[in-house]
Amino acid sequence: MKEKTPVLVRYRYLFSLLVSVLLAFGIGAIILAASGFAPLQAYGAMLRGAFDSARHVGDLLEYAMVLCICGLACVLGARVGIFNVGGEGQLLLGAIFACQIGIWLDGMSPWLVIPLAALGAMAVGAAYAFIPGVLKVKVKVNEVITTIMLNTIAAFLCQYLAKGPWKNANKNLVAATSQLNADYWFGKLIPRSNLTTAVFAAAVIAFLVWYVMQKTSKGFEMKIVGQNPRFAFFSGIKTDRLVLICMLISGAMCGLVGMFRVYGVEHLYKSSVSNDYYFEAIMVAMIASYQPVAVILLSLFFAILKIGAQGMELIGIPSQIYLILQTVIIFFMAAESGIMASIDAAAQRRRAKAAAQQRQKEAQA
Amino acid sequence: MEFPGVLANDDISLDIKKGEVFALVGENGAGKSTLMNILYGINEPTDGEVLIGGKKVEAFSPKTAIGLGVGMVHQHFMLVPSFTVAQNIVMSMEPKKYGFLFDNRAAERKTQELVNTYGLQVDPSAVVREISVGLQQRVEILKTLYRGAKILILDEPTAVLTPQETDELFDVIRRVVRERGMTVIIITHKLYEVMAISDRVGVMRKGRLVGVKNTCDTDEKDLASMMVGRPVLYDDLEKTGTAGENRIAVEHLTVTDNRGLIAVNDLSLAVHAGEILGIAAIEGNGQSELLEAITGMRKPERGTVRIMGQDVTGKSPDQIRAVGLAHIPEDRISTGISAPASVTDNLMVGKHDDKEFNLFGFHQRRSTIERYAREIYEKFDIRGAGLDSDVGSMSGGNMQKVVVAREFSFDTPVLIISQPTRGVDVGAIEFIHKAIIEKRNSGAAILLCSADLDEVFRLSDRIITMYEGKVTGSFAADAITKEEIGYYMTGDRSEKEARA
Repeated sequence: MKEKTPVLVRYRYLFSLLVSVLLAFGIGAIILAASGFAPLQAYGAMLRGAFDSARHVGDLLEYAMVLCICGLACVLGARVGIFNVGGEGQLLLGAIFACQIGIWLDGMSPWLVIPLAALGAMAVGAAYAFIPGVLKVKVKVNEVITTIMLNTIAAFLCQYLAKGPWKNANKNLVAATSQLNADYWFGKLIPRSNLTTAVFAAAVIAFLVWYVMQKTSKGFEMKIVGQNPRFAFFSGIKTDRLVLICMLISGAMCGLVGMFRVYGVEHLYKSSVSNDYYFEAIMVAMIASYQPVAVILLSLFFAILKIGAQGMELIGIPSQIYLILQTVIIFFMAAESGIMASIDAAAQRRRAKAAAQQRQKEAQA
Repeated sequence: MEFPGVLANDDISLDIKKGEVFALVGENGAGKSTLMNILYGINEPTDGEVLIGGKKVEAFSPKTAIGLGVGMVHQHFMLVPSFTVAQNIVMSMEPKKYGFLFDNRAAERKTQELVNTYGLQVDPSAVVREISVGLQQRVEILKTLYRGAKILILDEPTAVLTPQETDELFDVIRRVVRERGMTVIIITHKLYEVMAISDRVGVMRKGRLVGVKNTCDTDEKDLASMMVGRPVLYDDLEKTGTAGENRIAVEHLTVTDNRGLIAVNDLSLAVHAGEILGIAAIEGNGQSELLEAITGMRKPERGTVRIMGQDVTGKSPDQIRAVGLAHIPEDRISTGISAPASVTDNLMVGKHDDKEFNLFGFHQRRSTIERYAREIYEKFDIRGAGLDSDVGSMSGGNMQKVVVAREFSFDTPVLIISQPTRGVDVGAIEFIHKAIIEKRNSGAAILLCSADLDEVFRLSDRIITMYEGKVTGSFAADAITKEEIGYYMTGDRSEKEARA
């Protein structure tokens, strides 16, 4: 009995997630039908698009990895009550600096270059997250506003660097850095797909984040700070320091994802290292209600939707349908908590009324 | 009436007579407020009926209730602070000039008429923000009278009053009952007030009315037992030992409040080992800011705070706790607990970094933690849905026990305790008081602050009074009466005497 309650809650979350997903597919089907496509055929094409070849499976795993690490970065901040919306900027800066480190150190051993690039990307991402973090902790500036603003600054800064000082020699590639030496590229796990050895590093990171948050005394402190910062401060937890550290790690993780994108997939920096991937990861984190394991599973699910959408495009359905599905799922997940609460309240009212009538009957008898 | 899941009022039949003062007592969550809210039309009963003045209430709303002559003064006043007394009183039934303009002169005239009729002295043109809490309560009562109330419901009316103001309120109640034939229902948990003012008393427990008695046929002990459902032992708090060395030394401390105004003004005090120093003050006289400055929740402007001989002025709570201080905060929900966290987690905060609970210094030993939490849970007699349920779902009394259990389990030589039993039921009060006295007897230095003057008297060895951020008097607890303390709580007595 002692252990039951949290488990039950988890099942209920999974159940309502499933219902939301099914409802979303239902709405998606109506939209598809209204647009003149056969829904079942479309969803079939989606599944085929995701799983018909090893290459597509590799691509979707790579995309799931990006969503998962970025999503966990978001969860890490949210756990202590700071909402890092700036992951996109941290990712882009991490990517371009990691790339440039590889170009500067060209010719040296990969055993030196790759760790240095990873550390560089993490340092840049963390440094960029430090700005909103310290503003939040010291002067209570809303981190959502500052991180969104810093995203724009980072995007333009990277564009400037890729067009100007760090531009490649090739005239046809407009906004891109030089290509990395092929010695530094991550090894492909599935030929012709985007899946590289970076996925192992990502798995270790995901495990560590989960472990620290769920199993350690630091994770316990993080939870208390996020739930009631005044209580945490009152109890002698160094709240400001903890919030700042989590923000720095969150930024470092995003920067590292940027490095993974460059060393694994693009092999040079251009703006397509991220197409608002971090914003999709935020949605994943939100739908997962900031639970690490749920983030991992949902990352896979959304990767299937995204890669599968390319399969739908093949039969002439716009891939944006995937965005509609994602939005509708979020909508239902948000509505779910309210709907469930009112169902619960109604059931409790019924029970209370029955109990009252029962007692009245007993009193009369 | 049921709230979701809870039967707040269960099959209650009660007659209240015209022209009597009826006291309704019961622990927190016993259903007193729900019953009165039904009478005032805020809540609707699931079953049963309500008759007011012989008429069955059909549509439950405050508007109907007011129409039937019911007036209610809530615990938290519903006044507009920036309006005058008269403007507050006539609100929603304003006198009009030319049919649409507010007629302030008529409002003040009508207020003055009410004041004269009922003998409730208050200046109609005074701004509510600038008058005392006792007078604001009078405005609330006048407001209900202006709307033609014949039945007056007072919800915990004395919680914010000084003893003098309480006496004045009781005079007012007696007058409106005797001279105007009004009916007064007073909700309270202070039993001596029940004895002082009421004709009859109803006791509620767990949503049921467990007894109605003529006040002259009962006594406080009897009522307390009815409220709790078992005999309450009130008088076995035995203090032993004598005061030792100085453990809290505050010197010339000045602290500002959230608005930047001076809340604590050049204040000094000292608390010794094995003694309880009680602070008696009306809310908002700097006592909250004082305790926050001592415990590190607020940075003082000037002065020094020494705990266990160490200067901790302006340090953070973690540094001050490390010196040997534990703190029961005045507002448990905002400061004392994490509502969504489990009871176990709430009991662990502050001890979570201890070696015995962590493998290699970082991996939480959940089984050890659970064993420890269970031990504390049982030792402090916490009752709720178990260690895994979230603290936010517990009753106020049990929530407070979680806070007390955690802070007391640190075994610190210094304790800062604020409002230890606010909104806590009689059974838990008994338990918490005993625990505090035990801490005192084992040599802890305790600084206690409470809005409940009886509590301050019951627990303290010495009492200081605070008014507008300054200490206005310092007494041995057994050398002064509540009435005398009341004068010091409303200003410097010597100053007042000099003026008079």
